[in-house]
Amino acid sequence: MSAVQSIDYLAIAAPLVVALVALAVLVLDSFLPPRRRHVSGWLAVAGLVAASGSLVPLVGERRATFCVPGDGVVLPACSYAVDDLTLAFQALVLAGAVVVVLLSLDTVRDSAIPAGEYFFLLLASVSGALALAASRDLLTLVVSLEVVSLPAFALVGLRRHDSRSSEAALKLFLVSVVSTAVMLFGLSLVYGVTGQVHLDRIATALDDPSLREPVLVLGVTLALAGFGFKVAAVPFHFWAPDTYEGAPVPVAAYLSVVSKAAGFVGLALLLTRGFAPYADVWAPAVAVVAAVTMTVGNLAALRQRHAVRLLAWSSVAQSGYMLVPLGAATVGDVDAVLPALIAYVVAYGVMNLGAFSVVTLVGRHRAANRIEDYRALGRTEPLSAFALAFSLACLAGLPPGLLGLFAKVVVFKAPIDNGAGWLVAVMAVNVVIGLYYYLAWAATMYARPAEEARPPAYRISWSDGLAIGITLGAALLLSVVPDTILRFD
Amino acid sequence: MSDLLLPLLLALPLAGALLLLVAPPHLGERLAARFGTVVATATFAVSVWAASASPGTDVQWVPSLGLRFHLGVDGISAPLVLLTAGLTALCIAYLLRVRPEAGNLRALVGLLLLLEVGLLGTFVALDLLLFFVFFEVVLVPMWFVIAQWGDDSVPGGRRRAANLFILYTLLGSVVMLLGMLLVGTQAGTFDMVELAARQGADMSRSVQVVAFLVLGLGFAVKTPMWPLHSWLPDAHTAAPTVGSVLLAGVLLKMGTYGFVRIALPIVPEGAEVVAPYLGALAVVGIVYGSLACLAQRDIKRLVAFSSIGHMGFVLLGISTLTPVGVNGALYANIAHGLITGLLFFLVGAIKDRHHTASLDLLGGGLYERMPRLGALLAFAAVASLGLPGLAGFWGEMLVLLGAFDPAPGLPRGYYLLLMALGGLGIVLTTTYFVMLLRRVAQGTSFQAWRDAVLLRDAGRHELLVWAPVVVLVVALGLWPGWLLEASDPVVRMLLGGAS
Amino acid sequence: MTLVYVAVLAPFLAAVVGLLVGPRQPRLVVPIAVGAMGAALFSTLLLAAAAVVDAPLFERAQLATAQTGAFSSQGRAGLTLGLDLRVDGLAALVSLAVTVVALAVQVYSTAYLKGDPRYSSYAALVSLFTSAMLLVVFADDLLVLLVGWEVMGVCSYFLIGHHWEQEGSRAGAVKAFVVTRLGDVGFLFGIFLLGSTVGSFSMDAVVTRAAISNGRLDIAPLVTGVPEHTWTIASLLLLCGVVGKSAQFPLHTWLPDAMAGPTPISALIHAATMVAAGIYLVIRLYDVFLAAPATLAVMAVIACVTMLGGALAALAQDDIKRVLAYSTVSQLAYMLAALAVGSAIASTSHLLTHAAFKALLFLAAGSVIHAVGTNLMPDMGGLRRLMPVTFVTMTVGLAALAGVPPFSGFFSKEAVLGAAEETALYSDGPAMAWTGWLVLVIGLLTVAVTAAYVVRLWLLTFFDRARGPVAGHESPPAMRWPLIALAVPSALLGVVGMKGDWLPAWASVEISLLHRSDTDALVFAEREVAQGSLHLGLVTSALSTVLVLVGAGVVYAAWRREPGTDPTAELRARHALEKAFHVDDLYERVFVRPVRGATRGVDRTDESVVGGAVRGIGTQSGRLAAAVARTQGGNVQSYLTGLLAGVLLLVLAVVTLT
Repeated sequence: MSAVQSIDYLAIAAPLVVALVALAVLVLDSFLPPRRRHVSGWLAVAGLVAASGSLVPLVGERRATFCVPGDGVVLPACSYAVDDLTLAFQALVLAGAVVVVLLSLDTVRDSAIPAGEYFFLLLASVSGALALAASRDLLTLVVSLEVVSLPAFALVGLRRHDSRSSEAALKLFLVSVVSTAVMLFGLSLVYGVTGQVHLDRIATALDDPSLREPVLVLGVTLALAGFGFKVAAVPFHFWAPDTYEGAPVPVAAYLSVVSKAAGFVGLALLLTRGFAPYADVWAPAVAVVAAVTMTVGNLAALRQRHAVRLLAWSSVAQSGYMLVPLGAATVGDVDAVLPALIAYVVAYGVMNLGAFSVVTLVGRHRAANRIEDYRALGRTEPLSAFALAFSLACLAGLPPGLLGLFAKVVVFKAPIDNGAGWLVAVMAVNVVIGLYYYLAWAATMYARPAEEARPPAYRISWSDGLAIGITLGAALLLSVVPDTILRFD
Repeated sequence: MSDLLLPLLLALPLAGALLLLVAPPHLGERLAARFGTVVATATFAVSVWAASASPGTDVQWVPSLGLRFHLGVDGISAPLVLLTAGLTALCIAYLLRVRPEAGNLRALVGLLLLLEVGLLGTFVALDLLLFFVFFEVVLVPMWFVIAQWGDDSVPGGRRRAANLFILYTLLGSVVMLLGMLLVGTQAGTFDMVELAARQGADMSRSVQVVAFLVLGLGFAVKTPMWPLHSWLPDAHTAAPTVGSVLLAGVLLKMGTYGFVRIALPIVPEGAEVVAPYLGALAVVGIVYGSLACLAQRDIKRLVAFSSIGHMGFVLLGISTLTPVGVNGALYANIAHGLITGLLFFLVGAIKDRHHTASLDLLGGGLYERMPRLGALLAFAAVASLGLPGLAGFWGEMLVLLGAFDPAPGLPRGYYLLLMALGGLGIVLTTTYFVMLLRRVAQGTSFQAWRDAVLLRDAGRHELLVWAPVVVLVVALGLWPGWLLEASDPVVRMLLGGAS
Repeated sequence: MTLVYVAVLAPFLAAVVGLLVGPRQPRLVVPIAVGAMGAALFSTLLLAAAAVVDAPLFERAQLATAQTGAFSSQGRAGLTLGLDLRVDGLAALVSLAVTVVALAVQVYSTAYLKGDPRYSSYAALVSLFTSAMLLVVFADDLLVLLVGWEVMGVCSYFLIGHHWEQEGSRAGAVKAFVVTRLGDVGFLFGIFLLGSTVGSFSMDAVVTRAAISNGRLDIAPLVTGVPEHTWTIASLLLLCGVVGKSAQFPLHTWLPDAMAGPTPISALIHAATMVAAGIYLVIRLYDVFLAAPATLAVMAVIACVTMLGGALAALAQDDIKRVLAYSTVSQLAYMLAALAVGSAIASTSHLLTHAAFKALLFLAAGSVIHAVGTNLMPDMGGLRRLMPVTFVTMTVGLAALAGVPPFSGFFSKEAVLGAAEETALYSDGPAMAWTGWLVLVIGLLTVAVTAAYVVRLWLLTFFDRARGPVAGHESPPAMRWPLIALAVPSALLGVVGMKGDWLPAWASVEISLLHRSDTDALVFAEREVAQGSLHLGLVTSALSTVLVLVGAGVVYAAWRREPGTDPTAELRARHALEKAFHVDDLYERVFVRPVRGATRGVDRTDESVVGGAVRGIGTQSGRLAAAVARTQGGNVQSYLTGLLAGVLLLVLAVVTLT
């Protein structure tokens, strides 16, 4: 095999396309007259659609590239691979990104945000997320993780002359830096002991019982930190509420869905591909983190009066649920828990974006965006209200929100199969707590209006309408045929 | 055709509900009520057909979860299906004339139909997860019915009552889900028929005990079993008339039905271990509920507490694990559904007329003011205290008979004690109902009520709605064979064949 | 056989129709009620005639059968709920008595409740009651019997509460229903025990097995007997129901209060029929009791306490109806005593005669009350001339009650005492000798006391001058004729006692034996149980006649001293007697108050503990949420500190635990 490797361009098409489109947007934007700014937005959408198109031929295949040849001793290892897991997350990331872009179009226009920079940063981050889902060695993993994060700081702080916005960015940045540092420390320990960067080689290395030493345990545990930050798991969650609230709502949506999904795929790869033999070490740790995360998130959400903050805490709690499958992993067949994880992350993405779409819409008309602002929305905006109510029902996991219900069932199954009863009990209680605030919110929309003077109906731009339609349609469809997201194995 | 019958049974009210909920707001309320009545009546017709044809449906829904859309009707679900469809139809027909004070009628009718979907689904589901799904479908509509159309006569207001209801029962049903998943992972299938046939063959004793406890907790909250009942009084009291009728008439039955259909046959060993404790709690509920009734000062609340006592009998029957007891429990289920449904109709009518349900404010003299209403109240009370010759008697009699002679594995003397306490409960039940009649129906009216012009006796429309229930109560009282012949073979099958 | 259906269903339909159309069509009420009762009377008359003429007559009709699958889990025979009706001599005669009184009462009520707004529902309930009573009489299945039994109870509840604007009738109704139901629970359990022992709720089966156990039937090799203690427990449980229904000590307290109901109701339900149902049941299942000597002894004691206590209480009542009520209690005790000493036929005969004369007495008392508008005897007096018919008929009734020869009461009471004497002197049956002596002595004492209160009532009501505000007048014909009609049997029914073996022949009890023979083929046989025979002991007759004179004489002497005043006014124990030995206060203290306490306790518990727990969870989670929210202060340093602290904890946990 020659030193110059052949690169499988189809495999890397998705991140590549998105990255190129990002540059194109940036360049194009500087030539566009101010009133044609939205063109760059549509260009971004086109790019994302094209990227998703490039995934189609990959379905059902296992491709890998950037490989180092193996000699007699070690197997060949690749830094970039595409399999079901990868495809599922890339599809989710792209779809989510499309919705976010649609929601952003009006936001960018209304709140004097430079469209070019905005969409460039967004797409850049997306390409990072796509790469993360496919990366199979520590370096790629870390780099793409940072590629996801760095543009996010800018996105959050992009609203000029807005102190809240820049403060939010700062918090995000600081927490990110610290947790990334912790993670790197952990990874370096792992590397130091095993001397490997490729996940599957690390796995084989860790499999050797003689290597069981506290250092590795420490390293594995610390390595969780960076991803813990991405998925806003306790204790790395502090940034989430403030940042979500400070950032433009579509950006909050992006952080809560796309970048969180990236965090989860990274975590899943690291733990199940790399640290599989150490499942007995990290699974309990993840389980504890999951339990604490869902509890803290739900309890805090109980007291929120602000829509975005409430969604922020709720997404913290949801991260707790999503961590449960990993927390229930057992040495031997760690992969068994992946389908549950994928299913819940995808379901979560759909329902959370659904909620965020409507929240964005309401935010345009009621800047304060308090829960109270949703009173009697069912009368003025029946459809949007229904979309939000349905998303909330899904998040609560209660019919008619069958999507959420099934997702919860799947997640419940994992620990029951592996006999982590206490985790299940904690989750059960949390489901009940969660129902309380989701239901209260939904109820406000159908409560009688405070003042009889019926508020004027909203003017819904068709980009917003499209976003709401897509998410609601997806949620409804998946509620009827959940199998499409449940069978990844 | 017969495999489409049950889907039709569910689709009909669902379609009706969706139509009503998405219909333009300016749609006339009376029209909505008429439409709802038609749909509900049609559903009832289908349910009658289904009950007679005993059809079945079994198709894949979510293979990866092992969830099948498996429906069926047999001797123990058919009566409940008929009860559900019938009571819902009557409730909606009741709304034709008797409007709730506030709130929009169209949405209420829609929600009632949605509720019906969940209830019917629960009773015809033959797949654990499907059962769970339908079990959950009921919650949200009922929450809205209480929270939007209820009244604030309870401490904390209707919203708190509704929240207590949904959170409490959701906790129960989530725990129940855990039990189902446990069973499913242990046995490798969620199909109730299959599982019932195995009689817990492939589950260890300890697993069975845990599973029964966890499943039972969910059912017990719904039933409700003492001491998990505290959601019930407020919910019943705050709910609008039709809400309390369906709540007491049908919703509570989901729990006891779950015990018989799921807990007993699927984890029999667990049942055998837990049954004595279940029986004890049931009896405590009987005595406790009737004593609480003696203390109530609100007529709706009193009827609510009486449900706790009566459902205690049902649980006692289940805990005997004998065909007699379980048959009795199912009979008492239906009887309680009819009688308490009627009682709630009546006290609702009283409350709507007087705008209070407080016994102190109502005072006596109902016989004098509204002879028809008073007579019906007396009838319902007598039926509810288990007078032989009316529906209420046979169920409780068979339950006690079952306790007199419990299943071989169970401590006989202990169950005799339970039976005796149950008998005491009968006496207490008699006492509080005659005391109720003495306070409300007998005696002379307050001057205020004499002067009130709007206090009219039960009208033709109300009588027409209540008549079927009255007739059924008498018919079931004179003819217990009806239900027993239907339920007995199924019960024996579920209890592991006539050994 | 259709006769039975007519007898049971005619009043039932009358009740249903009456309740439905009564309020709208007042004119139809009387024809419906009286007509149906007439039909019932006619059919029972034919049945009784058949019983008397070509006894034994045996009929059964199975209306329906419902498998309840009882006991099958124990591998026993599936148990059927058969709605069997059966007619034999006993049932025929008792049903005749019931319908006669019922018709008399219906006719009487047309006048007594003239213009009463609730007459229609009243008449309907009376019809329903009669139908239920006939069901009890004809039922062969214990559960069917229970249905009639309880329906009677609820009818009595509603009818006692007929004047529900009066506190007295409200309280009386509640008390009557609750107390009787208390007994009925035990009764139900007794039925369970019998049913599960025999494997069927059919009286035939039960009685057969019992008869085998107590040796009155000898097919033992074919069907095995049942241990005695089973019969004892079962019969004691049944006795609870009997004691409740027939107002025997200790559950007798409801009957006097039940007098708040309209007088015709007292005549029908609380004198002639319902209260006798308990006795009737014992007669029906007599073999069960004969298989349990202990129970017979208990019955004897209960009967004696009730007999004397009731009579003494009757001695000191001012309310004429309460006098009769206590006298009913005491007379029912005679019937129970007869059964306790082993003579079902004596009990039967006293049941029949008592039905006649006590109904007569109540109707007569009603006529008096109707006339003077009060129940209190001190306000009556001097009605002898004003109400001749009432006076004469009531005198007949009182004579029968006191047991003055040759009135009916004399013979039936003699039969009881004779049976007691027999048992006392040469007891061979299950009844023990001492019970014979007990019943004999107490019975004779009670004879004297009975005579005393009878005379007192007689004098206070009819003699001297009118003491009350209203001077009475004779009642309308609709009330007079029933009195006359009932006076006839009250006077003459004794003749059935004259010839010792008539009644036994007529009132024969039939049992159909259905048992597996050794060849395992179903053998069907019928057996007639001749219920012993009535005989009048000369000694007891003479003795009791003397005692009657003594009792009467004492009271008369007291009356002569100062006419127009209550002869028992100066009795030292009068207060105790008037309050019936304060049993009610005792119960108030021992049962009612504790229950009230428990009620309050439960109410408070439910509020504080059960509800409180839930509320507590709510508030606690609220506090927790607040605490969590406090960590989100917006201050970056604290965030980072928390982050690192969390990581540290995690690491420590993992490193130490692995």
